[in-house]
Amino acid sequence: MVCALGIEGSANKIGIGIIRDGVVLANVRRTYITPPGEGFLPKETAKHHREAILGLVKASLKEAQLEPKDLDVICYTKGPGMAPPLLVGAIVARTLSLLWDIPLLGVNHCIGHIEMGRLITGAQNPIVLYVSGGNTQVIAYSNQRYRIFGETIDIAVGNCLDRFARIIKLSNDPSPGYNIEQLAKLSNRYIKLPYVVKGMDVSFSGILSYIEDLAEPGRRQNKRKKPQEEEIINYSQADLCYSLQETIFAMLVEITERAMAHCGSNEVLIVGGVGCNERLQEMMRIMCEERGGKLFATDERYCIDNGLMIAHAGAEMFRSGTRMPLEEAFVTQRFRTDEVLVSWRED
Amino acid sequence: MMPQIANKPNESTIRVPFETPRLAEIAYRVLSVDQEPRRNFVQKTLSLDGDVLVVHFQADQVKSLRTAITSFFESLLLCQDTIKQFGDSPEDKPIHASTEDDAGAQSGSDSA
Repeated sequence: MVCALGIEGSANKIGIGIIRDGVVLANVRRTYITPPGEGFLPKETAKHHREAILGLVKASLKEAQLEPKDLDVICYTKGPGMAPPLLVGAIVARTLSLLWDIPLLGVNHCIGHIEMGRLITGAQNPIVLYVSGGNTQVIAYSNQRYRIFGETIDIAVGNCLDRFARIIKLSNDPSPGYNIEQLAKLSNRYIKLPYVVKGMDVSFSGILSYIEDLAEPGRRQNKRKKPQEEEIINYSQADLCYSLQETIFAMLVEITERAMAHCGSNEVLIVGGVGCNERLQEMMRIMCEERGGKLFATDERYCIDNGLMIAHAGAEMFRSGTRMPLEEAFVTQRFRTDEVLVSWRED
Repeated sequence: MMPQIANKPNESTIRVPFETPRLAEIAYRVLSVDQEPRRNFVQKTLSLDGDVLVVHFQADQVKSLRTAITSFFESLLLCQDTIKQFGDSPEDKPIHASTEDDAGAQSGSDSA
């Protein structure tokens, strides 16, 4: 029996989760929401987390109906992410670990997403598409590592969506991606956008610049561009959202399909904040069904960053014998998925 | 690697008292983990003086000294708040319950 408390705070969500042997006991979360047109900055996000975290720890223990002494391990997100918000989780985790005399474990954020997805969906050995505001990776498990097959070479897919939402001043509540998805449902007029797949990798920054020009013509002076003869067409926000989603999701489906073909796998698991986008799930499902495969996806409780995934991945690490001295309980902005030795899987 | 500090550095020492030596030691261990960012050119040294946490800063520029102290206080306050809200076990009361494996506390017997 491993009972773990997990603290996640690598981006604009602060969440605490408690899990005991794969049974969810508590999962609480608060999101730092900025005004339309503004993104979240490290310092302000850390302040938000500092004000929310202790109340959330209390709420999670209450929801789980547990005392601190019932816990076997305290887990926190070690990275990757923004340093100031990460540090908030780490400081509280270290203090609780010493106060309660409970072991401490730092967990890789990406591994948390993957293990949570596997637990909730029951997928055995899927190709994992990890898509969020900070990460875009196609991952396959082999020989005790989650190996990165393909990834973004510049910004993450969620970052591309978030920044586009800021350009057209969409609300960040509950999330910019959700509001883009709703707006996209109102259109089926496809505008041709650049489609950037490079081998197994993808790129989104050029698409963002291109669609930025369409959304606000003349906002950026482009010296290299010749004066255009054709008149500027005014596209609606819905058209732009629809076309952006269709283009970038098609790119993700393409590299995921290639990873499936390479590995001979017929399971796909989508994790990360963008993973709760139903249009992405729909496109991926069509691809999977055409190949005789199966898609696994979760809803926003487990897709979007949460403390539970850190607790679960930490519990798996703890069960397989991983321990961490306090001196190593630091945070790191860069922490790649394939750095972690997956000691808890036997296949 | 310690950053190079000039002969006449700007310095600051902060003494933070805690309820008990145990709580001071917890704060000391929690706050010792994080290194100063290298480009800050600040040297931060933590030590314990009974139930007082002592932090010493050295820097070439007053500006970087201020930045280091500000971010240290953010972490310190969070650690103190955590102790305040969750450190209500009997051993965190001023009378220190002695435990066999608590070898570190025995050497510093001036804790009463």
